[in-house]
Amino acid sequence: MNAQKLIKENNRKREMLTAENEAYYGDLLIYIRLQFSLSEQQSEEVLMELLEHLLEGQKAGKTAKDIFGDDPRGFADELIEHLPKEEKRKLIPFIGGIIGDIVGWLLIIRGGLFLVLSQFTEVDTKVHPLSALLIALMIAGFVIITIVYVFKLVERSLFREKRNTRKDTIKAGFAGAAGMAAVLLITKFLPEMGPSFEFSWWASFLVGGILLGLIYLGKKRKAA
Amino acid sequence: MMSIRSQLLKGILDGCVLAVIEKEPVYGYELSQKLLNIGLAEVSEGTIYPILLRLQKNGLIRGEMRPSESGPNRKYYFLTEAGQEALENITGEWKQISKPVNQLLMGRREG
Repeated sequence: MNAQKLIKENNRKREMLTAENEAYYGDLLIYIRLQFSLSEQQSEEVLMELLEHLLEGQKAGKTAKDIFGDDPRGFADELIEHLPKEEKRKLIPFIGGIIGDIVGWLLIIRGGLFLVLSQFTEVDTKVHPLSALLIALMIAGFVIITIVYVFKLVERSLFREKRNTRKDTIKAGFAGAAGMAAVLLITKFLPEMGPSFEFSWWASFLVGGILLGLIYLGKKRKAA
Repeated sequence: MMSIRSQLLKGILDGCVLAVIEKEPVYGYELSQKLLNIGLAEVSEGTIYPILLRLQKNGLIRGEMRPSESGPNRKYYFLTEAGQEALENITGEWKQISKPVNQLLMGRREG
């Protein structure tokens, strides 16, 4: 049984929890899933065991606190300490897939945009690979920083009686907007460097489409 | 450094869990119920999961998802060869220590 199936089963079974138990278990689940360096398969297996145990206990009138103790963070940290790390060869396709997805969609949007624009005006379809790479790295850096920041916000909000969700949402939104503004500003003032080549709208469309198609096939094969 | 007290407890708990699994493969909740029935209520609930993970990591047991009689897939734990060896060791150590400790503690004068 692979991790994807376990996640689906987990979603289904979690609905049987009482509100109190769901609050406790839900936080535990997010906290453990946020540890991206851990083996996904092993994490999902232990999460399923805990859920089964909790459901059995619930039948006997026990709460999550009775079963897992009143220090959920400490309990989760103990589990995390003993969970094996994800193998590197599984991380590479995961991260590669995300990058490929973004690049693929960017190329398709660029193709579509240039097709529409070229109806009305002259469009510069030259691409400077060096400049493009610099901008891509910058965007990647910004995206990673934002994701890490949002994860930290989520992690801090877990296992608390009272939550200030709205304040966190504003913080996350502000971080995203500020990063985006910085990227746009730098892009605007970055001189075009290095060699360039023509990259027409249809070539952009084609390459983006092929890229997304390959990723889709890869995912389908993994799920099977 | 871990205190001697918690090290000792850890070893004993490991031994108990390994001994239950040796009898027959069990899944998490089943293991907790068996420990509870033996009288080890302290380790019968959530505390077994970090122990199970640690024993797996050290290669003393291995887990396998299997369909159970009542339907859902469950992770059953099996003793490995290394686990068998570890259990022998723990049992041997326990034999050495339990007799004198028993004599000492149970032989105290009442009052």
